[in-house]
Amino acid sequence: MDAHHDEELPPQDDQSPSGDMLLPQLVAHLREHRATLRDDWAQRIHDAHLLEAMTPQEMVAETTSVYDNYVEVLETGSVEALQHYARDLSERIIPRGVETHEVVGIVLLLRDVLARSLFEKYQGDVGLLNRVLDAYEPAANRIANTVAVSFVDERERVIRQQQDAIRELSTPVLPVRERLLILPIIGVLDSERAKQLTEQLLGGIRTHRAKVVVIDITGAPEVDEAVANHLVQTVDASRLMGASVIITGLSPTIAQTLVTIGVDLSKMNTIGDLQGGLEEAERLLGYKVTRKGVTDGS
Amino acid sequence: MNSGPALVSILRQGDTLVASVHTALDDSEMVRFQNDLVRQIGEYRARGVIIDVAALDVIDSFASRTLQTIADIARLRGAVTVIVGIQPEVAFAMVRLGMGMGEVATALDLEEGMAHLAGLRGSGARRE
Amino acid sequence: MTPAPAREEPEDADGAAHVADLMPMLRRIVAARVGQHPAAEDIVQETLLRVLTAEDRIEPGMLEPYAITTVRNVIATMWRKQDRDARNQHRVHDPSEPEDAEELVVASEEQSAISVALSRLADRERQILLAHEVSGRATQSLADETGSTAGAVAAQLKRTRARMRVEYVLALEGVEPPTDRCRPVLLALSSADRRRQREVDAPRHLLECEVCARLSEPLMGRGPVRTDEIHVPIGADPDIVAARQAARELASRAGFTGTDLTMLATAVSEVARNIVRFASSGEVSIELLDRPRAGIRVVARDTGPGIGDLDRALEDGFSTYNGLGLGLPGSRRLMDEFDITSEPGQGTTVSMTKWIDRKG
Repeated sequence: MDAHHDEELPPQDDQSPSGDMLLPQLVAHLREHRATLRDDWAQRIHDAHLLEAMTPQEMVAETTSVYDNYVEVLETGSVEALQHYARDLSERIIPRGVETHEVVGIVLLLRDVLARSLFEKYQGDVGLLNRVLDAYEPAANRIANTVAVSFVDERERVIRQQQDAIRELSTPVLPVRERLLILPIIGVLDSERAKQLTEQLLGGIRTHRAKVVVIDITGAPEVDEAVANHLVQTVDASRLMGASVIITGLSPTIAQTLVTIGVDLSKMNTIGDLQGGLEEAERLLGYKVTRKGVTDGS
Repeated sequence: MNSGPALVSILRQGDTLVASVHTALDDSEMVRFQNDLVRQIGEYRARGVIIDVAALDVIDSFASRTLQTIADIARLRGAVTVIVGIQPEVAFAMVRLGMGMGEVATALDLEEGMAHLAGLRGSGARRE
Repeated sequence: MTPAPAREEPEDADGAAHVADLMPMLRRIVAARVGQHPAAEDIVQETLLRVLTAEDRIEPGMLEPYAITTVRNVIATMWRKQDRDARNQHRVHDPSEPEDAEELVVASEEQSAISVALSRLADRERQILLAHEVSGRATQSLADETGSTAGAVAAQLKRTRARMRVEYVLALEGVEPPTDRCRPVLLALSSADRRRQREVDAPRHLLECEVCARLSEPLMGRGPVRTDEIHVPIGADPDIVAARQAARELASRAGFTGTDLTMLATAVSEVARNIVRFASSGEVSIELLDRPRAGIRVVARDTGPGIGDLDRALEDGFSTYNGLGLGLPGSRRLMDEFDITSEPGQGTTVSMTKWIDRKG
């Protein structure tokens, strides 16, 4: 600690060995003043209007835990511990609707609170202070970066999971009666969902041995050309599996899109509403034997 | 057909021929299958032909075209063809590729194919 | 060999084994290690000889352990020698194990090919190679000498070895590369540099150039065996099925499922058929990708007549054989990315990619 006299001149060479020794020292300092620093930090979070979704009790619990982990990561410097810490933080914080800027914000606040405390402690000795900050800052920035990246990753993962779950829910293939399936499409159809819908429908035709499928698109506001194409391909594929497809609830807009991409609407069995579609389906199922010609493949 | 386990089997049930493809066929095997089946349609004066393709994991342009050709020739000889057993993924890939089965009838499986042929006969709609 | 002096040994209470009595035990040990090796009995005899020679110095009661240790040493010595012979033999006769120019240099039989190859290197390359491989100079000391870094020297050595292998194989076969493209391609293969191989379009060149196709065999097979890439030569109908099955298998290992697998296999079937129909020979290579996203790339190359009018070939319904003309446009619809280049008289390359669904 007294070796600071010759500091100013060759900072480069001296930095890393002394940094190694300084880190434990400053970690000890941060541990010692844990309660004060944490409260200081919590206050700053509050002032910055961050994490307002949390109750005061949650704030105390979370800030304590984050603080301790932070110091631990500073101490060990291990990437594993850091990633674990970041993942843990994200997992705990995401379900509470916390935004990315908030997470980054609180970590940066903590960095600054601790830096200020170090500044106060070592300000009497500029050389030493510089070295302390040189040891502290890279480590602190690394934590902030890792936390941000990990948070974004985790958030994306959660969002994707939710999307998958929603997709599963929103494309139910309903067996209404023997040999008849209904596929109500509700909400926006993107290509990803359209693809899933196709797999579910074609798989459903096989499991339920469906002869007729009613696809009701009353609940789908609009489709782009790619999705319209996909829809038509699904109809054709259903036919190849021996099922007739009736489309109900075709809005003028979607009909227009279909025509634009060159679909011959007269070859699609379209019926105004679901009720009419179901009647047509019954007719096809019951009529099959007596009807002339073949409904499939035509 | 030649040595080894049969790639294809063709069975006769009354005036219906049931042809099952047991494994992926390459183009030459596909052509041989076409020739065999067409010959038997003539030999047995078949009125109905069911081709079960459930074992095919790919039906590409050549396979689609061959199946359609078989159905065309069968029609000229007075037989109706039903293709059965196209798998869901295969059906979609065929459509994406731009192939369908044209006017050829398709059904879910053998049972449905039989029912389809029986329906045609029951309706008595076919010309003799 | 097994003379009589054994009886002189003082008979200590128990276990004072007679040297000759050691033989069954030694035979057992030797058999357990080398089995029915022709040298088995020699090992036993050699061991006994050594034990006898040392008998005076052996503590009473220690004869047996001494013999056991000795027999192990004798066996180990034999293994080492055999191993060394085997390794050297391998190196002398197998130019495909090009790990080290050092080994090439000592192999007298290919001396002339080696000197030819060496003479084709640049002076600087030759000096460094010989200094390192023959004189055993470390990369660091070579680097110091030239004011370079050890890493740079190592990289240069790597390149030089790759060149050396190419020149050596050429000299050994007594051929001159027929085209300007040959050396760069062979060099890329020899250095197992995949990026460079792509840049010089090595797979296509190997289709076109018989000489390089032959030479490539001893040059390749270096580095770890790649499990994320398959090459299927296409020449006849059954190869179409083989190609699409290979693609399906690789893709399913990469995580593709359901309809995507079938669409991929169908597209591969179409491009492979084009090769059989129009070019009669070529190859389909299938490669897993992890950048920019997980996916699979299929490249179909042929040395056929090429396609004159690419735009038309990509239109539905266009076909020059009695197909339905869906091969190319259909494959394009089945895949996510599609690219085709063709040069009349040279051949066609279709490159297409399918990305895996982002999930989990």
